[in-house]
Amino acid sequence: MRIVGPLYMAFCALLLALPIAVVCGAALNGGRSMFFPPREPTLARFGEFFVSEPVWTQALGNSVIVAVGAASLAVMLAWPLAYLLWSTGSKLSRTLAALGSMPFAVPPIVFGVGLGFFWSFFGGLGALWAGVVSHAVLLMALPMVTITIGLQSIDRAHLDAAATMGATESVTFRTVILPQTIPYTISGFFFVLVLSFNEFIVMFFVSASGYATVTLQIFNSLRNGYTPTMAVAAITFIAVSVLVFSAVARWGDLPRLMGADQSNT
Amino acid sequence: MTVAEHIETGPDTARPARPFPVVRILSWALTAVIVTLCVVPFLLVFVISFGRKIEGAAWVWDFTLENYQRFFVGTLWPDDVTFLYLQQLGFSFWYAVIASLLAVLTALPFTLLLTRLSRRTQAAWLVFILSSLSLSEVFIVMGWDILLSNNSGLPALFKSTGLTQWLKDTGWFQVLRDWGLANPRNVKFKTSQFATILTMSYLVWPYAVILLFPALSRLDRSQSEAARTMGAGGWCVARTVILPAIRLPLFGTTLLLFVFLLGTYVAVTVFAAPAQHSTAVAIYSNIRGANLNAPFGAAQAVILLISAGVCLALGHRINTWAEAR
Repeated sequence: MRIVGPLYMAFCALLLALPIAVVCGAALNGGRSMFFPPREPTLARFGEFFVSEPVWTQALGNSVIVAVGAASLAVMLAWPLAYLLWSTGSKLSRTLAALGSMPFAVPPIVFGVGLGFFWSFFGGLGALWAGVVSHAVLLMALPMVTITIGLQSIDRAHLDAAATMGATESVTFRTVILPQTIPYTISGFFFVLVLSFNEFIVMFFVSASGYATVTLQIFNSLRNGYTPTMAVAAITFIAVSVLVFSAVARWGDLPRLMGADQSNT
Repeated sequence: MTVAEHIETGPDTARPARPFPVVRILSWALTAVIVTLCVVPFLLVFVISFGRKIEGAAWVWDFTLENYQRFFVGTLWPDDVTFLYLQQLGFSFWYAVIASLLAVLTALPFTLLLTRLSRRTQAAWLVFILSSLSLSEVFIVMGWDILLSNNSGLPALFKSTGLTQWLKDTGWFQVLRDWGLANPRNVKFKTSQFATILTMSYLVWPYAVILLFPALSRLDRSQSEAARTMGAGGWCVARTVILPAIRLPLFGTTLLLFVFLLGTYVAVTVFAAPAQHSTAVAIYSNIRGANLNAPFGAAQAVILLISAGVCLALGHRINTWAEAR
């Protein structure tokens, strides 16, 4: 019986890795078709994706701008919201938090359609900055959760000690609250970064073919069939995800960020 | 279920004695931003769903229920009735229900096993799970498409290993043909409901693990150990101790995944037969695709949203009722 558990976990991991491995393997194909296992293996497709084919290099640039911009903006929106919720716990702050997380909690296609209409009325449809704002709004629920976890982890004694020693509220914020919540803020930033990098459906409606991110470019190319260069994009994205989450795990407490009990080690 | 519900703001939570003076200004600014960016887009979808399409042109503001009538009974009602769009909504529900159940049922034992590992090993697994979770639907569909395509992947593997011949010899091949999973010569997975549901449940499986993880990692292990000491077997412990303790998160997770899957677009487009496409595909077709009928697309989006809301509300009621018993 003791072997059944690890076997089941290994089976799940295998199944989870299977399509990823296939996509990664397909990136090595020498020809223009996607075969698995790859035929005439080559690394030439990596050069096409990162250097020589403007369609892909431009899409990659757009993806980076949108992801970094959205992650920064999402954190900037989530921070005051989480702070308000933590410091006041008022009905208004709870309502705002609920409304702020609503885009993430409904089918993304509905929010995508709504944002498409929104930007067409307010002049941002097809503009890169509108894509940044759209992703920030869609994903701000994530930093809101991580920052709130960080705020809740602050020891009350630290605040009391600061107050006893005459620290003003702004000094307490700068010297006690902010430093203790930085890892959680960075985690939230990375969560948005990775998810924005891979998000497709909302970007599809707000870009209105004005520009393409990598996932959009792949989707647009699907009509003409898969090419190994698309698979390079997938490898890049997976590599970014693994690097980012490994960093979060290395410098933060990933199980706790995911909701595990602190005492349960 | 919203993020706000997960956030604890009880009296024991550490808070500064008095909030900043800027908090009031902050509240107003945040309210303006959130209402504009999070609420107005949904309101626009709702309002435009009452608009009217002009043939050969765009659409105009109006207050007509034609789009909703078209969705439920067709434009020629009462002379003629068609349920095409209701059928699409039915397929959305069918795919989402089966895929979310499949994901939760298979993720539950995995997550339970995960929480029993050391913190360090848990972190390594979580990196793997989160990385696959963040992978775009486009990439996932691409991977499964290669794996399930008729000329390569699993059908080719089945043929080369002799599994297809074995299926033919034992009579299982005919069963697969009856299920639409084989053509006269070889097994085939595209297009099929099997491929659609498999990909959709794969899509949300990491979400299921992440959503179940907090509840399972906070389970009181002493209760399971006590039950085992008293002679209960593994299945008995799971049924009488673990499952009742995580009933709420289990139900909530299934509902969240269900709502998320209602909007799945790429997997359905690639793996489902055109006659079995879902509402999400129809929305795309009306807003950005061939039909270009924004008010009707918006009406479909509203119906999808209301359906999701009704399911969440029903789930909440059932939970409350179960808690009261």
